[in-house]
Amino acid sequence: MTDTIHIQIDRADGSLQRLIGLVERRGFHIDGINMADEGDFRRIALTVRSRDAARSTDNLGRQIDRLFGARRIGNDMIQSEAA
Amino acid sequence: MTAVAFKPSAEAAQSGARLLVSTLEQLGVEVVFGYPGGAIMPIYDALAGSKLQHYLCRHEQGAAFAADSYARVSGKVGVCMATSGPGATNLVTGIANAMLDSVPMVCITGNVAQGVMGTDSFQEVDILGVTLPLVKHSYLVRHAADIPAIIQEAFHIARSGRPGPVLIDLPKDVQFELTSEPRGLHLPNEIAVAEPSVIAEAEAAIRAARRPVLYVGGGAKISGAVEAVREFAALTGIPQVSTLNALGSIPTGQDNYLGMLGMHGTPAANEAVQGSDLLIVVGARFDDRATGKLAEFAPEAGVIHFDIDPSEIGKLRSVAVGVVGDLKPNLEALNRRLADGPAIEVSAWADQWRARSAETQVRYDAPGDKVYAPALLNELSRLAGPGFIAACDVGQHQMWVAQHCEFSRPEAHITSGGLGSMGFGLPAGIGAKLAEPDAVVVTITGDGGVMMNIQELATVNRFNIPLKILLLDNSRLGMVRQWQEFFFERNFSEVDLSDNPDFVKVAEAFGIEAFRIERRDQVTAGLERLLAAEGPILAHVIIDPAENVWPLVPPGKNNAQMMHAATAEGEL
Repeated sequence: MTDTIHIQIDRADGSLQRLIGLVERRGFHIDGINMADEGDFRRIALTVRSRDAARSTDNLGRQIDRLFGARRIGNDMIQSEAA
Repeated sequence: MTAVAFKPSAEAAQSGARLLVSTLEQLGVEVVFGYPGGAIMPIYDALAGSKLQHYLCRHEQGAAFAADSYARVSGKVGVCMATSGPGATNLVTGIANAMLDSVPMVCITGNVAQGVMGTDSFQEVDILGVTLPLVKHSYLVRHAADIPAIIQEAFHIARSGRPGPVLIDLPKDVQFELTSEPRGLHLPNEIAVAEPSVIAEAEAAIRAARRPVLYVGGGAKISGAVEAVREFAALTGIPQVSTLNALGSIPTGQDNYLGMLGMHGTPAANEAVQGSDLLIVVGARFDDRATGKLAEFAPEAGVIHFDIDPSEIGKLRSVAVGVVGDLKPNLEALNRRLADGPAIEVSAWADQWRARSAETQVRYDAPGDKVYAPALLNELSRLAGPGFIAACDVGQHQMWVAQHCEFSRPEAHITSGGLGSMGFGLPAGIGAKLAEPDAVVVTITGDGGVMMNIQELATVNRFNIPLKILLLDNSRLGMVRQWQEFFFERNFSEVDLSDNPDFVKVAEAFGIEAFRIERRDQVTAGLERLLAAEGPILAHVIIDPAENVWPLVPPGKNNAQMMHAATAEGEL
């Protein structure tokens, strides 16, 4: 199953690496990435797929929420298929 | 802990380095651990003459571990600093250690000047990139004027919510840059409290449970909730178990306290948890060393999970009630509700586990005249009294300390729980003793672990820190040897350390009094000498290389499948 997570991140040293690294480290493939410059921050849509069935994007979302300078805007379930 | 607003200095213009030091002073920092080098020289220049007491360690890893332990014992933010490149990378293990045990720490690194960053210049490492997975947050400072705000925010982040390490990387040109318009911050101190309806749900689940167990983690200490946890235990009579990092949160020997759960936990703690119908989990994260095989962990239990970190709720175990927020106010609210309603009646369940606990008490009468480490450690904690702090290294002795020492407060047990980092013990002892000078601080280490930061004996000697070092020497990497014995068909691979140096001579060469304990009949007098010493002292204790840590949950098994010394002999 893939989810798209929309996030705003501050324009700060390491902020993009911090976000991408967290997603991969926590056991998700990044299948798509879309980024737009919005002045003081960047808006990012990440399409993610878990490496195994035990990992939930809900929990990933809460882990993203722990990052400073990153705000989750929403989750869209865009596609459902066998995990 | 309230954040302090920065008061701009009257000076016209000051360097970034001086601004860093004055901000640390204004935040109330007294102690800094570190090691200088090329890219942090302006900061060391500004340190001289400041109010900060800098402890020069002999390796940056030692500085990071000392700062971590200082934070655990004092409750303040630990501060360490190092230069760029190798200095910064040497901090990395210490940063990971603080991250995994949720310890508030601020790590300051110098870096090469911004103009040469990204050119592979001398001692250049992207330490911000290296440490991204290991920090709660990190900063690369680009302008000297930002220093006060960044330092204040870093301290706030390090200690608020679920604490953790924060890295601040300061390029050398920023340290030199003069600024007359430093910017400060005023940070609110917010305490997250759960909705009353959630507390009511937790109360209802507790009232409905027949076989509840309280599962206490390291968060209880971090949030200052130890009294609230003890009150809950007293109010309800619900049996209690503790994780490694929570030892001391409930005093050893208290009624209905069953001890540590997990791989080297007590039979009563593990069996009670496995048989429970409700786990009340307070500031713990279902670490695999605590749960054993997760899929078979407490199979009939619903879970009420109290934690300040929302991402811990449901991470590894689904929960019936998630109580997100600061443990202290949330537990206090729960306790008030429980006290106002009818008494919780679980006495038959609690009696069952009290009895099981009594019948599985550890025996210290092992045969032979060799030193029996579990008995020695039990005697040590009793002789040392209530001011005792054990700063452990990692390995067999660490588990023996957890199993056999008695603790009356969580600060009494300092251990590298999440990272399990050998080499922690000696610098952790230094940090603990500086945080609480009146305590009897004993580093308990092994012959493997002590060699990983042996150079810190020079720090002990330099500052004449009256640390007591108990070195349990089995001339082996004991925990690895034990696993090879049980799970790798006795194929003992690279665990023989019988060519260790003479540790008494090593200590003496560093200017530290030292002596040896070789036989059981020397133990009491040896411990008394260790405890009576006014200055730093090392006791080198020879123990049996064949001694194992018992009991043990084998890897891949559930916590009800413990191996015991007697049964294991037959299986081998």
